[in-house]
Amino acid sequence: MRRPIIALFAALALGSVGAQTLVFGQSGLPVTLDTGQDGNSLLISYQVLDNLVGFAPGSVTLIPGLATAWSANDDATVWTFTLREGVAFHDGTPFDADAVKFNFDRWNDRSHPYAFAGQGKNFAAWIYIFSSFYGEEGYLLESVEVLDPTTVRFHLTSPVGFFPAMVASSYFGIHSPTAVMAGGLPYGTPSVGIVGTGPFEFVEWIDGDRVTVTRNDGYWGDVALVERIVFRGIEAPATRLAELEAGTLDIAVDLSPEDLPLVERNANLRPAFAEADLRIGYVGFHQANAPFDDVRVRQAVAHAVDLEAIVDAFYGDLGAVAAEFVPPGLIGRADLEPAAYDPERARELLAEAGFPDGFATEFWYMPVSRPYFPAPQDLAEAFVAYLSDVGIQAELRTQEWGLYLDEYTEGKFPMYMLGWSADYADPNNFIYTFFGPGEIGPAFGWTDAHAQETLRLLAAALSAGSVPEREANYAAAARIIGEQVPALPVVYPRTLNAVRDGVEGFQPSPLGSVVSFAVISKR
Amino acid sequence: MLIYALRRLLGLIPVLVGVSLLVFLIPRVIGADPARVMLGERASETAYLRLRAELGLDAPLFVNTSAFADRGLPGLFDAQYPSFALGVLRGDLGRSIVSLVPVGSGLRARFPATFELAVTAMLFAVAIGVPLGVLAALRRGTLIDTGALFIALAGVSFPVFWLGILLIYAFAVNLGWLPASGRLAATLTFTPVTGFYVLDGLLSGRLDVTVDALRHLVLPGLALGSIPLAIVVRMTRSAMLEVLGQDYVRTATAKGLARAVVVRKHALRNALLPVVTVIGLSFGALLSGAILTETVFAWPGIGRWVYDAISARDYPVIQGGVLFVAFLFVLVNLAVDLSYALIDPRVQLS
Repeated sequence: MRRPIIALFAALALGSVGAQTLVFGQSGLPVTLDTGQDGNSLLISYQVLDNLVGFAPGSVTLIPGLATAWSANDDATVWTFTLREGVAFHDGTPFDADAVKFNFDRWNDRSHPYAFAGQGKNFAAWIYIFSSFYGEEGYLLESVEVLDPTTVRFHLTSPVGFFPAMVASSYFGIHSPTAVMAGGLPYGTPSVGIVGTGPFEFVEWIDGDRVTVTRNDGYWGDVALVERIVFRGIEAPATRLAELEAGTLDIAVDLSPEDLPLVERNANLRPAFAEADLRIGYVGFHQANAPFDDVRVRQAVAHAVDLEAIVDAFYGDLGAVAAEFVPPGLIGRADLEPAAYDPERARELLAEAGFPDGFATEFWYMPVSRPYFPAPQDLAEAFVAYLSDVGIQAELRTQEWGLYLDEYTEGKFPMYMLGWSADYADPNNFIYTFFGPGEIGPAFGWTDAHAQETLRLLAAALSAGSVPEREANYAAAARIIGEQVPALPVVYPRTLNAVRDGVEGFQPSPLGSVVSFAVISKR
Repeated sequence: MLIYALRRLLGLIPVLVGVSLLVFLIPRVIGADPARVMLGERASETAYLRLRAELGLDAPLFVNTSAFADRGLPGLFDAQYPSFALGVLRGDLGRSIVSLVPVGSGLRARFPATFELAVTAMLFAVAIGVPLGVLAALRRGTLIDTGALFIALAGVSFPVFWLGILLIYAFAVNLGWLPASGRLAATLTFTPVTGFYVLDGLLSGRLDVTVDALRHLVLPGLALGSIPLAIVVRMTRSAMLEVLGQDYVRTATAKGLARAVVVRKHALRNALLPVVTVIGLSFGALLSGAILTETVFAWPGIGRWVYDAISARDYPVIQGGVLFVAFLFVLVNLAVDLSYALIDPRVQLS
């Protein structure tokens, strides 16, 4: 009789370490938990796995993760990480330098036995960040060296000053080598799950239904405040919001921006967003389509559209007008002002370029909602209306998403909407992605002297020795892009998330999926 | 009847071969491929080409002449369609390109959801539609008749998506009587047995699971059922009207049988034939998935799965999913035809 009472008092006294379940609603269930590339997969794997380097909650400031310290050699081609001691994976396997090497080798080397390259497992995210796989043109990671169980060294083929930011990216959570080897090809799918060192352990993934994780009481860091999390995938934002309102979800992410007033009015709900999301929506021009090869025409478009009005109307508090391709919060910005809304000036420029009466063209938008453009068609219609005011008759066009992605690099779209969400917190992930050698021609048809100068500046920034030098190069590139307008930045959107009253500690990250649920509690 | 059934089942084979060819060719012909969609905005040409090669998308489609030159006959069929077709014959539908989950597992996880939803939707459609149709026929020309037809028309005109959200807000958010989405409450810990949650609850001795599963079926069932409702009402009404005008009905009435008995024992039974056809075909259609209903209610059925696979150009899932649905549809058609012999002894299945 006494023991249950003592247990009850103990439970009440412990208070914060609750025996509760947090129900989290995102836009879908994971695609895969091993080498996942989309937000729904990465957000969940980020709870079960740890990275070498972590982020301070809600920010892009790096903090120790599975590595407690790191340093580079003089030319930033060799990075040495000191690993945390006494850490074990959820299956008991000790965490050490060999485990780190196993993971990175498996991602980097397509011939690695556990890369399953021939059997369909691909890790395209490696290319986003490390340029190519081992041994292929332009590859970055030469080798991973184990010096001792708590020291691991990365050898790079060229200098990278921001290497720790790269490994902090949610793509690179460390898996238990034992579990990977035992799981084989199905590792990461619903039937097997994943094993990491993180604040939560994988319990089950019922295909199509939910993913459940449970608290890791032996976590090396702050033990989680909730006992269990159930992740639900609810495709329709309206339903996600309805579930939150009904109380069957505790947190809902990726809501429609237009639902912000609804969330604010509801006493049971509170909006939650990051300080600034690292993402951008823009309108690109492809210069293979005359007259967009004339800089005056592109500048005319910049002046013809009232971006303040558009962003205010479609995003409200959830968007800021973008004037350059590196979002706020990152270095390398030139603090440009958006082009002034000036239809007169636009018409002048068009006349100078030989189009006093305007011209006819096409404006392409995507048929699917993207994080940077949640309502593309509406935005496109607004754009086209402004353009027709200055004589540019733009026909609205769209294409199935897969084909859209195929064709924008073929120069078929004179003007097109597109955007980008960060892979890692560095300007390189933005400006180099759009205007690096791989994209600048195919995406924009931009090949003149200004384009060449931009390429030179970006390459210099990549290999620059010091941060101020990098910043100067990126800023200079930003100024050229601002003048030449190969593409028009439109908006830095913020994702709308909401929590139920009583849920504390949910701090969305500018990077999207690097949110730790260990600090979330529920009354 | 058995011979008839067997003959029909044999007829399945050419149908499935034809479907397999279409389902193989069409996604590959419409442009873009899984590599392109997977990389999304991040595709540099090199990354894209590399991924394409790795996924085997560059392999020949039907015959591999270069492998034939190397290895003779076995090499000739080292191509995408033969691999797929032979796999199907072995019972292996391959793995999703996107998630690496075996297509068979995906189907096993999602078909029960689609089936339960389809059954619920048809139950609503029949439980509401047949009585309504009968009533409309009996009270032909009156307000009741017009009312019934109006309800049917409304059901089919309301966009399912909109109706779904309406039901969710009315019954889940505002009244709190029913759950908003999904198949089972997130806080319910339960291990599925067959995947048919209503059944699994009974099998595992968890009545709470069965009840919860049924509660989750109500709103999506109503929303989805609104579509076949229209056709069931109209067909029941027309069939009843036709039968009520027949001589034997007038004879029965003249003989002094009560109206209710006439309707039930004679008229309805004969009117059932076309109604059963329509119910069967509608059910077959529902089994192919209900993309919009599944989207609104976060219902993990086949419809949404195959639709997403099409967008992602996930060829194995498209192929396996559509082939499975075609197979089911043929079976349902056969069941409908066989049921005629049961309902009407005069019917000869030839």
